[in-house]
Amino acid sequence: MSKSEQRQAIEELVYRSCLALDARDYQAFLSLCEPDFRYTVTTHSPEIRREMVWLDHDRKGMETLFANLPRHNSDHSPITRHATVYTVTANGKAAEVISALQVFRTQLDGGATELFAVGRFHDTVRLDTVKLAKRVVRLETRQLGYGHHIPF
Amino acid sequence: MSKNAAQWSAPPKFPASHYVDSRIYTDQQIFDEEKEKLFRPAWVIACHESELAAAYDYRLFTHPAGVPLIIVRGDDQKVRAFYNICPHRGNTILYDPAGNAKRMTCIFHQWAYDTRGNCVEITRGEQGYQDRFCKEDAALREARCEVAFGGFVWVNVTDDAPALREYVGGSLDILEPYMEQPMEVFHFHKSLVRTNFKLWHDTNSEFYHDFLHYFNRITGMMQPGYYERKYTPFANGHATVGSMQIQYDKYEGSKERAVGWPGMARGGWYMVDLFPGMTYNLRTSVLRIDTSVPVGPNQVLIEFRGLGLKSDTAEERAQRVFDHNMIWGPFGRNLHEDLLGVTGQGRALRQGTDSRYLLHGREENSTIHDEVGMRHYYAEWSRRMGRPAYDPYREGKERAAA
Repeated sequence: MSKSEQRQAIEELVYRSCLALDARDYQAFLSLCEPDFRYTVTTHSPEIRREMVWLDHDRKGMETLFANLPRHNSDHSPITRHATVYTVTANGKAAEVISALQVFRTQLDGGATELFAVGRFHDTVRLDTVKLAKRVVRLETRQLGYGHHIPF
Repeated sequence: MSKNAAQWSAPPKFPASHYVDSRIYTDQQIFDEEKEKLFRPAWVIACHESELAAAYDYRLFTHPAGVPLIIVRGDDQKVRAFYNICPHRGNTILYDPAGNAKRMTCIFHQWAYDTRGNCVEITRGEQGYQDRFCKEDAALREARCEVAFGGFVWVNVTDDAPALREYVGGSLDILEPYMEQPMEVFHFHKSLVRTNFKLWHDTNSEFYHDFLHYFNRITGMMQPGYYERKYTPFANGHATVGSMQIQYDKYEGSKERAVGWPGMARGGWYMVDLFPGMTYNLRTSVLRIDTSVPVGPNQVLIEFRGLGLKSDTAEERAQRVFDHNMIWGPFGRNLHEDLLGVTGQGRALRQGTDSRYLLHGREENSTIHDEVGMRHYYAEWSRRMGRPAYDPYREGKERAAA
């Protein structure tokens, strides 16, 4: 695989991960992830001057989260993730990928769309399988109104 | 059978203490009065001492009555609170929400203040004011401030309000044994929600809405001891909720919380609701603190904090953070449900929707589904507001009900 083909494959992986979660197709999302996948949401609080972890799951934890969500009362407004891959840094068997992330929420009644959150994906992608080994969602937005059950 | 307009508007068939008029959640005049009569004289949690660990550390806080405050640890380690308003031209003195400032300098004209509220610099003072005005005339306005009840920084902007311990009374006694070790904030976030602040406090004051939470139904409501939890009302509108043993392992993907809390029984859970809008929520491994800052009749900013022990190992802290996030983080199962619930109330109760009454009529010997917590709150609300919550405009609703 040439470097440009590799980059294209990685970009497509990031975008497919967004499409899968937008569609709430959790199986499709998990199919893009390695067995030892780890997913974390982090942010920094200038108020308490600390790094914070807002979600942290291994693959099994993500599977359980997705399985449990239908049992809960959740906002049903569709979420649209918009990612732009900024940098891909290959490092032996893996690549570190940084993408900009914007998340939009569209109200079911009337269809008004609002910016919900901004941040970045910090992904580790295994190059032999082109799958996600790790995703850190680094949020800038910390005020999420009534929140959300489905990870970004 | 459904109701016509007259039936819909008629007061409920309960004693007047067992329902409220929905206009108390929507009326601008009542909201303005609440800020003055409920919040301005109240002791309010501004932050935790761990947010001000070192001398000169400061933290900003917007008091629910509207006053912008600087909470700062002085060179003498004492924590004080000042208005974040420059006495010169009314500018904001400190802008960042937290930091370390040996001198607090207004960017506008570089007037500077120390951490005891003294003005220490008036630029070109003698040239402009001669001997008519000096630094002693330009001190900051200090608000009352105490560190207490678990290391929280309490503030009061009314100089002659009752003392903090008098205000809290015995309501936090139930938690005192569990707040002896130093704690530390590991989580903070704000939620701006379209609902009235009282509706958020109501949600923290009644457990009947556990039906909303799959997690709580599985780990609590369906387990032994749940219906024995009791509410205890205290003076000034505060109330506590007794404990039970939560069965965390009943929820798929969850397990018994290995990291507990010193002195607390396994799976324990205590709550203290403090008038007019704060809650201590100690759930097995994490203490959560809610502080409501009302923004408008149908908008509230809620500050959420999660705390562990200062002595936590990295592993213990990570487990507390995990436990916190599973139900109480911005992506947590319960918090989203609670916030969604009160947002729905805000939507249904906003002005013009023809909503009329909210029922607080459940009586179950003060146990967990009894609505005595809300009744107690609104009795205090009515007393302080000088308006009955069931008939805030004194239109004779109680007589109509009788």
